[in-house]
Amino acid sequence: MPATIHPRERPGIINPIFTCQPAGAQFASIGIKDCIGIVHGGQGCVMFVRLIFSQHFKESFELASSSLHEDGAVFGALDRVEEAVDVLLMRYPKVRVVPIISTCSTEVIGDDIDGVVRKLNEELLPRKYPGREVHLVAVHAPSFVGSMVSGYNVAVRDLVQHFAGRTEPNGRLNLLTGWVNPGDVTELKHLLAEMEVDATVLFETEEFDSPLMPDKSGVSHGETTVEDLRSLGDAVGTVALNRYETTLAAEYLEQEFGIPTVSGVTPIGIRNTDTFLQRVKNLTGKEIPRSLVIERGRALDAITDVAHMFLADKRVALYGNPDLVIGLAEFCLDMEMKPVLLLLGDDNPNYDDDPRIRAMLEHVDEMEIVTNADLWELERRITQENLELDLIMGHSKGRFVAIDSQIPMLRVGFPVYDRAGYFRHPVMGYAGATWLAESIANTLFADMEYKGMKEWVLNVW
Amino acid sequence: MTRKIAFYGKGGIGKSTTQQNTAAAMAHFHGQKIFIHGCDPKADSTRLILGGKPQESLMDLLRLKGVQKVTNDSVIRKGYEGIQCVESGGPEPGVGCAGRGVITAIDLMDKNGAYTDDLDFVFFDVLGDVVCGGFAMPIREGKAQEVYIVASGEMMAVYAANNICRGLVKYAKQSGVRLGGIICNSRKVDREQEFLEEFTSAIGTRMIHFVPRDNVVQRAEFNKMTVVEFNDEENQAREYGELASKIIKNEDFVIPDPLTMDQLEAMVVKYGLAD
Repeated sequence: MPATIHPRERPGIINPIFTCQPAGAQFASIGIKDCIGIVHGGQGCVMFVRLIFSQHFKESFELASSSLHEDGAVFGALDRVEEAVDVLLMRYPKVRVVPIISTCSTEVIGDDIDGVVRKLNEELLPRKYPGREVHLVAVHAPSFVGSMVSGYNVAVRDLVQHFAGRTEPNGRLNLLTGWVNPGDVTELKHLLAEMEVDATVLFETEEFDSPLMPDKSGVSHGETTVEDLRSLGDAVGTVALNRYETTLAAEYLEQEFGIPTVSGVTPIGIRNTDTFLQRVKNLTGKEIPRSLVIERGRALDAITDVAHMFLADKRVALYGNPDLVIGLAEFCLDMEMKPVLLLLGDDNPNYDDDPRIRAMLEHVDEMEIVTNADLWELERRITQENLELDLIMGHSKGRFVAIDSQIPMLRVGFPVYDRAGYFRHPVMGYAGATWLAESIANTLFADMEYKGMKEWVLNVW
Repeated sequence: MTRKIAFYGKGGIGKSTTQQNTAAAMAHFHGQKIFIHGCDPKADSTRLILGGKPQESLMDLLRLKGVQKVTNDSVIRKGYEGIQCVESGGPEPGVGCAGRGVITAIDLMDKNGAYTDDLDFVFFDVLGDVVCGGFAMPIREGKAQEVYIVASGEMMAVYAANNICRGLVKYAKQSGVRLGGIICNSRKVDREQEFLEEFTSAIGTRMIHFVPRDNVVQRAEFNKMTVVEFNDEENQAREYGELASKIIKNEDFVIPDPLTMDQLEAMVVKYGLAD
């Protein structure tokens, strides 16, 4: 059966893969230091998103709501935004950045968040907070457009547009990571540090893995500062890792400041990490050091231990953020596995323009890619169409499909709330390739033991 | 620099007719380069310029083919004197959200760079009253800078004009939008000109032109044309030419000071229209 790509045919969504645009904008917002986003909409637009962040990271994050009610929907609710900004600035003296994120309801009633930003800049800020540096950034994120993936993309662009300036070249590299885990940020920064490349990272989310400190501070923050954001225009180059999550910001930096840009590399697996390092080398002129060749060798060794013997020919279904799913599919192919089903959860009609997808369609024998998909596409194929699977890779929202059908599942992506500490592990870089290969193997081993299938093999491995 | 102007006014007042005739006169008599963006879900803001050719609206295309297929080439048509036209379109009466359609359409055209720098004027022709946030889109930040309200000497038209001014005041500060004047599209009611002049001066603007009632407008409309195209020798064509020239030369832009309901009622009583 040749590889195919097609949108979901059945109307309606059963168990969505993604949540909506404001979630993406809020994820960008929490990556910035001294920043609290105000979501202009009903309280649920913040409450459920904060909950999912908290479930994933087991930490608490600060986000505010303009708390739209019936009267606001009828009369317009910009007064609530004005009040929210005022309260936020009073209550949090350190806050410097306030993204104002619209939602479906406030977009439909046509609330002019750009206008209210201008009004607050002219009236409230100089009158009540003179001398205080406050950045209000309007982010349009109606939920009926795109998904949390495009919401992240749009928000990063709007933030970069607001701040990025040019003073003098700083020799640094802009690294736009996309929607990744703290473990990935650590690994990416490690790779760049080994190459002696200074990078401005959007966003510094390592602190999402927050320590419990004697002062009992209970809230987590990103560490990307206003100064970091301002300096983006002075960089020697931009590497935008995830095509669907960072391209808009990268394009802006390229057009506005003429910064050489590499876009759409997702360094999952050995070959994609190799490509990533080559691109960094080309942009910065820095050599790839021997230390990374050793790390690469160590990852290859770990992969060789498990790939041919345990991973080869295993049939895998993948779902989640498109760049993650594509990167994992490429990784699986390199492991001699068979990624037979890829579910991409939004209605972007341009997935078949993606060179990575085109390459897979051309070279892979058996692969079905469903766009605008939901989790029922996975469940139905397993329960009604006898799709044979050895492994599912995706986020926790699909756990019941795996449990009910007794197919082993490796948690990856966002959100993962039914396994401990997964946000700490990278899937990117050589460390990510190692973790993925070993975690896939261990997941399969546990399943062999649980089901009593050739579990004795592990005795003589 | 391109001047972006929005036409507002009570439904049925002759807003689209006046707008198209003015556009035609601007292009024909004054050599101006015009772009008309119709923001009425009925999609009838460009009919006279395009000779009645049905134009697939932007929202129709978006609904059928998706947002990626909405390109400038696929939605902009050229009509009389090279005037470029696009219709936002929108839902059937009674369903959906037409205001959202206006927001989406203008955002898309902006993003696609349709309002090019070589244009002299971009006209936004907006449905009836500013009933919701969506219909205020053309007067928000960075969109139209000037507003002209089409009115007549009838009470409801003046009431609507006053209401539109209230909407405009809301946005004037944050977007910089200003009122350029009120166009009287005459209904031949008693003391029409006097009434409108008093009203316009009370709200701090002026009646920029009094367009007399003339049946040739209807005759031209039956022929799917503006008066200027139908016969540019007609007196009415000259009237539109004069209105066009007044708009081109206009430097009198204000934030209006709308009347209270009581003030408005008093004015109506004075002119004996509330009998």
